[in-house]
Amino acid sequence: MRRRIWVGGVIACVAGAVLAGASLGARDAKSAPTEDVSLTMWWWGEQEAAGAKKWLAETVKLFEKKYSNVTVKTVLQTTDGLIPSFKAAAAAKKGPDLQYFWGGIWSLDDAWAGNTKAVSDYIPKSELKHYLNAKEETFGGKVWTAPWYVQPSFPVLYRKDVLQKAGVAAPQTWPQLLKACDTLNAKGITPLAGGIKDGWFGGWLYSIIGAQGVASIGDVLDATTGKAKFTDAKHAAWWSRLQELQQHKCWNNDINSLELYQGQQRWTDGKAAMTITAGSDVTKFVKQVGVAKVGVMPMPKWGNGPYAGKLGSTSQTMGITAWTKHPQEAANFIMFMHTPERMAAWFKTTGAFPADDRFDTKLISLPQQKVLFDLVRKGSPYLENFIPPELDSKAMFAQSQLLLGGNTTAAKAAAETEKIAKRIRLTQRKLIANFEKWAASYR
Amino acid sequence: MEPALWIGPAVVVVVFVFGYSMVELVKTSLRYDTEWTFENFRVTWSDPAFRTALTHNGRLLLAVPVLVILALLVSVLLFEGLRGWRFHRWAVFLPFVLPIPVIGVIFGQLLQFNGLVNQLLRAFGLGGLAQDWLGQPRWALWTMTGVIIWKELGFGVVLFLARLFSVPADMFEASRIDGARFFRMHRFITLPQLKSVIIFYVVIEAITMVSWVFNYVYVMTNGQGGPGDATQVAELYIYQTAFQYQSPEIAAAAAVSLFAVTLVLIATFFRIQRRAGLASDA
Repeated sequence: MRRRIWVGGVIACVAGAVLAGASLGARDAKSAPTEDVSLTMWWWGEQEAAGAKKWLAETVKLFEKKYSNVTVKTVLQTTDGLIPSFKAAAAAKKGPDLQYFWGGIWSLDDAWAGNTKAVSDYIPKSELKHYLNAKEETFGGKVWTAPWYVQPSFPVLYRKDVLQKAGVAAPQTWPQLLKACDTLNAKGITPLAGGIKDGWFGGWLYSIIGAQGVASIGDVLDATTGKAKFTDAKHAAWWSRLQELQQHKCWNNDINSLELYQGQQRWTDGKAAMTITAGSDVTKFVKQVGVAKVGVMPMPKWGNGPYAGKLGSTSQTMGITAWTKHPQEAANFIMFMHTPERMAAWFKTTGAFPADDRFDTKLISLPQQKVLFDLVRKGSPYLENFIPPELDSKAMFAQSQLLLGGNTTAAKAAAETEKIAKRIRLTQRKLIANFEKWAASYR
Repeated sequence: MEPALWIGPAVVVVVFVFGYSMVELVKTSLRYDTEWTFENFRVTWSDPAFRTALTHNGRLLLAVPVLVILALLVSVLLFEGLRGWRFHRWAVFLPFVLPIPVIGVIFGQLLQFNGLVNQLLRAFGLGGLAQDWLGQPRWALWTMTGVIIWKELGFGVVLFLARLFSVPADMFEASRIDGARFFRMHRFITLPQLKSVIIFYVVIEAITMVSWVFNYVYVMTNGQGGPGDATQVAELYIYQTAFQYQSPEIAAAAAVSLFAVTLVLIATFFRIQRRAGLASDA
């Protein structure tokens, strides 16, 4: 009798296992359909990681070879068009299946608006845990976009040859930087090259100078939500530092009529001693100018906060759109980008670090890349990713333009920033409510 | 019944394309979440950025009389048989057919602080006149106005010339025989003959300055309306608010406001045109 029960139990278990297997098989079949799937990916990145386009074309080819029923079409967006194009697509609920996002608020903004699906619903935890800086894109217990490559934000590049000729050492502190500006100007050399006509540089400056004054990201989120003010010393001091740079004529005299990348070109051409670039693009600049001539460092230190003297570290990410019919295939493509072979190819092609702790760091060979990797390892959060895009554009971009053009003062810029923030708190109530929830995760 | 049949297809298109969009736009402007409200209008009108944008559109309207005077002058000179007038006409009209992005990129380069314009000024010892044309708030909007005038002038010239060539030659001949010289002839013959075309041109350009300058601003300031908000205009404000800052209700309220302003301009045009028609009939 006991034996019969045992045999019956075994049969039941086997039958259960077969049924479970069948149902699992059904789920697999559902997640990997055999019908033709067409994915469209809108992306950006060639602009700051030269070679990305070539790598992506290769990756698509290899992915299509592996998943013969899937085709991937890629569309490179312009810097100024990346966000508006996606917002327009989101309004129409039509467009890409995969979308490129900068980190933090730039991806959460669309998650909150219901324009993306959480990648953590499609990428297993065991895989996602390797992706670097994913905390920036985490909200409500879900990861909304998947880190692709690390963006060291933003290193100062200096030309050793130009500084040496002028008898100036690479400045490590703020007073040293101001003194270097005076010395270089006296010798007819532009100290720092930049371009702010398109505004983006204002956000960079806010992050790399402003981060030195705050104690945590919670501080920044509190100022956004109104628990603190952008006129408080810790948030406003950076405007004074920027004004000092303007008063010491640290920048090229045409900074207001040049775009970001045009400004950097001045440095490549040997017309300036220092510039600020995307960390992912450092290799390109080093190769253009010469390995022996280029040094990399964080923004000289003026503050005593925990982020002073550090480099911001964020990751550029890929998201799955809310309207895609093939979220799993889109997630498969993201995971394919993180395979060891693809990561190695990415680094070899672009010189940018993949946002994945499985990346083989032995591939890092250039001394500048080593310095950068070390800075990123000890990096700090990137401030611009934690303020509303509207505040970024209307305050950081616009007031930086005015300040660097000598058309406003640090105090007025800070007051204007708070005025704009106050208005956003009134007009963007849903956004601010989400910021409050987000802030809780940083306390 | 027959007239209704003739205009029927056009009415259907207008209702579907414009009518539906307008209804949706007004609806969006009057809603926040699920409630009907005028709050969006209050918030929009209380926004200094929107008021600045409208002021800038107003300042751009100053370009309209400049355009009319220049277009008149050039078209009369061409009509008078300026040597090589065909080439001149082509040269004046060319900017009008050039795409705005091309113009934006070219002028963006030319007008940089160390661009060709300032290089030439410095080369001729006029370095004191060199300015950061698009990089300084006090110059940026005027510079943009200059570029818009350069592009839009050709349209006026072609319009005026076409009308001038349709005026019977004996009118000019008779005035010459009566001893009228250049100024009197054009004051008393050309201007009255061009009246309706001038009004048309004024209205078209006024509408352009109020609601069609987005492309210029977007291309020449990389979508920022900078430096600061020096070149911010109503259309860019609407675009940024809707697509960059995700506030469709505020953008809709601003769009409805802009539409109202444009409507006033169109109504004024018809009123002036009707008066001009009545005066000429009398």
